[in-house]
Amino acid sequence: MIHVSGLTKQFGDLAAVRDLSFQVDRGEVYALLGANGAGKTTALRCIATLLRPTGGRVEVEGWSTSSTPIEVRRRIAFLATSTGLYERLTPRELVTYFGRLQGMDDASLEARVDAVVDLFALGEFQHRLCGQLSHGQRQRVSLARVLVHDPPVLILDEPTLGLDLVSGGAIHRFIQRERDRGKAVLFSSHRMEAVELLADRVGVMDEGRLVAEGTVADLVSGVGASSLAQAFLRLVGAEEGVAP
Amino acid sequence: MSAWWFVFRKELRETLRDRRTLLVMLAVPVLLYPVLMVASEQLLLFGMRQLDEEAAPVAVLGDAPSDLLWILDSIPTLRVVPPPAVGGSAPRSTMEESIREALTEGSVAAVVVLEGPTDGFGSREVRVYYSDASDRSRRGRSELMGAVDLWGGRLLEERLRVQGLPRSFVVPVAVADTSLALPEEVGGYALGRMLPMLLIVITLLGTFYPAIDLAAGEKERGTLEALLTTPVPPGAVVTGKFVTVALVGVVAAALNLLSMLLTFRTGLFRLAAEAGMVAAIAPATVALIFLTLIPLAVLFGALFLGISVRTASFKEAQNSLTPVYMLVMIPALLPVFPGIDLTPLLAVTPVAGVALFFRDLMSGVADPLMGAVVLVSSGVYAVLALRFAARNFGREDVLFPASRAPRSRRRPRGLGPVAALVNASGSGIPGERAAAGFIAVVAVLFFYGGRPLQIGFGETGILLSEWLLLALPALLFVRVGRFDAYSTLRLGRPSPRALAGALALVLGCMPIAWGIAWLQSFLFPVPWELLEGLEELVTADSATRLAWLLALLALTPAVCEELVFRGVLLGGTTSLSPRRAILLNGLVFGAFHLSFETAIRFLPTAWLGVVIAYAVWRSGSLWAGVLIHFVNNGTVVILASTPALRDLFADPQAPPPWWTMPAAVAFLLVGYRILEDLPAPVDIRTAFDGGAEAPPPLDP
Repeated sequence: MIHVSGLTKQFGDLAAVRDLSFQVDRGEVYALLGANGAGKTTALRCIATLLRPTGGRVEVEGWSTSSTPIEVRRRIAFLATSTGLYERLTPRELVTYFGRLQGMDDASLEARVDAVVDLFALGEFQHRLCGQLSHGQRQRVSLARVLVHDPPVLILDEPTLGLDLVSGGAIHRFIQRERDRGKAVLFSSHRMEAVELLADRVGVMDEGRLVAEGTVADLVSGVGASSLAQAFLRLVGAEEGVAP
Repeated sequence: MSAWWFVFRKELRETLRDRRTLLVMLAVPVLLYPVLMVASEQLLLFGMRQLDEEAAPVAVLGDAPSDLLWILDSIPTLRVVPPPAVGGSAPRSTMEESIREALTEGSVAAVVVLEGPTDGFGSREVRVYYSDASDRSRRGRSELMGAVDLWGGRLLEERLRVQGLPRSFVVPVAVADTSLALPEEVGGYALGRMLPMLLIVITLLGTFYPAIDLAAGEKERGTLEALLTTPVPPGAVVTGKFVTVALVGVVAAALNLLSMLLTFRTGLFRLAAEAGMVAAIAPATVALIFLTLIPLAVLFGALFLGISVRTASFKEAQNSLTPVYMLVMIPALLPVFPGIDLTPLLAVTPVAGVALFFRDLMSGVADPLMGAVVLVSSGVYAVLALRFAARNFGREDVLFPASRAPRSRRRPRGLGPVAALVNASGSGIPGERAAAGFIAVVAVLFFYGGRPLQIGFGETGILLSEWLLLALPALLFVRVGRFDAYSTLRLGRPSPRALAGALALVLGCMPIAWGIAWLQSFLFPVPWELLEGLEELVTADSATRLAWLLALLALTPAVCEELVFRGVLLGGTTSLSPRRAILLNGLVFGAFHLSFETAIRFLPTAWLGVVIAYAVWRSGSLWAGVLIHFVNNGTVVILASTPALRDLFADPQAPPPWWTMPAAVAFLLVGYRILEDLPAPVDIRTAFDGGAEAPPPLDP
């Protein structure tokens, strides 16, 4: 589903991502872990066709992000860290708009909008302007927006950032549900308990490179740690000291 | 249905829900604008009525005849009051001071002073004193002059009667003038001076906020990433946004136009009616104006979108667009000034052509050919602006500013607050913004300081302005910003080959500059007075004078101007491609030599700037530029000071001798070849930051 091979992204002299390779299969949840500035967001943006790789190759369902970005975009749902919404549209209008941009016809779009409104419990505020919504409500609208065309690949950058336990839990249940429906889910997160709960495999990034990969159990035992958090800190060399 | 259509519909819906846009698009033209117009007229009429209601207090000084006093008493709008105390034999200055005090304190509005003989056939000297700084006094003066004229008429009648002469004796030619313009034409003429600027400004305002909201606002809210991960090409996104912005601009302008015309037609604007004006524009003219507004709105919309997408926030976009707004105001104001015709050059000038064409349309004197030129050129500019916007939307460094290559901050010492103000990036080489800020400051300094110095102190003023207002600020800029002076100003010694190449270039550059000046004399009038003044300045009549002029007019600018333009400006624009940096350098150098009197120096100077910038970039040394600048200016001084050569080259309207052109091309080619054969120039920014890397070649 997602095939990343030797991905490199350079900004001037700075290499944000270096020779990154991994794969996410159908029905699999893959978590990217890394400290701030490790290159997770840049890597996800490259996969989501927002940035052009400087080197290497990224394919989604066999389509190259460099040569066929439009085809890739039809097959992905990309949720960025920001939950920016159009403040003067209602959730329903917003989701419908993105469905139209995905090329959905009127009949299927109407049904699909109803479905995601139900799925993310937007009914109560679906006709209120997005500018008046709370953070949790906005995050749910954002998810509904990116999933309106029901794509096979989900790329989620910090999907539970800033959410309370209730809203975060709902997102976790959603990710598990999508995996069960056979989708490939790639997400980044700083919340270790979420990664332990959801991820089938984990990739740890440090200074743009993938320094470790495997199941949670593999990573923990590989470095002789007692938890994923401890394993992560050991892998990125930040176990000791107070500096991040 | 096309994706751009969905983008457009969504953007329009959001825009129509934005109160700020609605205010500019609907409320201003439909409500506020007519209300303001009528209110200002009412205030004007009210003020005039107030003035009319009160009889103006006037005084008479001197031996006033009874018939003049009778006339003054019989005019109800005048009230004769006792004159200010001035003393019988006071000198005139004392008398005028007393009257001035009375005028200032308001005890009189005007004073008539009678002098000279009181009988016979001489002319009686009558002086009316008033204050031009007071409406009340100006009105008093007007009434008083009427009374004095009446008195003079009576005296004349009496003299003619005594001599038995008819009145026609003193009126050998009876002149009467009649305007044959129809009231609609008078109205069109008046509207043509006022409306174009308003229409252009309203169109601009109509596009201003939507463009910021749809580009910078989208980035600021974090919705752009979501939009760009949909399978919609960036071109469709830009098109949808741009059509929205342009539509809002056109609608705002159209509503404004209609609202203004309706306000006039309802008769609310009484002053226009009293002046015999009918402010009506034929429907066909309105349609043409509307048609011309479309490319204008397209131009503004695309330009503003393209600029605001490069900014990170609403506030930054406002700051970036405001200078553009100011720049547009200048050509939009052209119809207000008398005597400016819609020439082919103005027709193809952005905004200016549209403004003047609107004026001509409203005045009923529009030339269809010029109209076509305006429409086509505006359309071309609009397409270019659209391409600019589309290109910016497709660039990842524009869409994700955080992804721009970080600048090196490797500096051996910390910057203080003043240094940080000049050198925000902390780099050893100034960036584009710092260089642009410096050029703006120098331009302001030179504008306000240079001209007074040169007018007040002549040649010494020229010397002072060059060293104090150009060289000193350049050196201070480098010093205060703690930039690396050697790298920024390219102070390295040039090789003999580089100097030979520069010399060949300037020998080729000068005849071409002459050719450019000659060609543009067909378009711009040659300011003979200015040229004669310049010729006088550059002509030496002795060896000592020649040496002084070479120092003043050749060596001084060669050093001072090079420090500014090829030093700081070229050093600060190294992040651009060499070709762009060199072209920009020439244009800024040319613009710096523009003056109120003439634009004819722009193109030849810009050409010289391009040649010097190329030589400095390629040789890596400012001294190559100093040499070219010195030889160019020095040649003018020597030619003007050598009688045998002066006549040959003196006439700026004469074409250059034919043989100079092939020689010029040959010299340019030789100079170019020599400079191109030099080792590749070192990128000063990269070199300073530690890794020497050659910039891309100038020509493929």
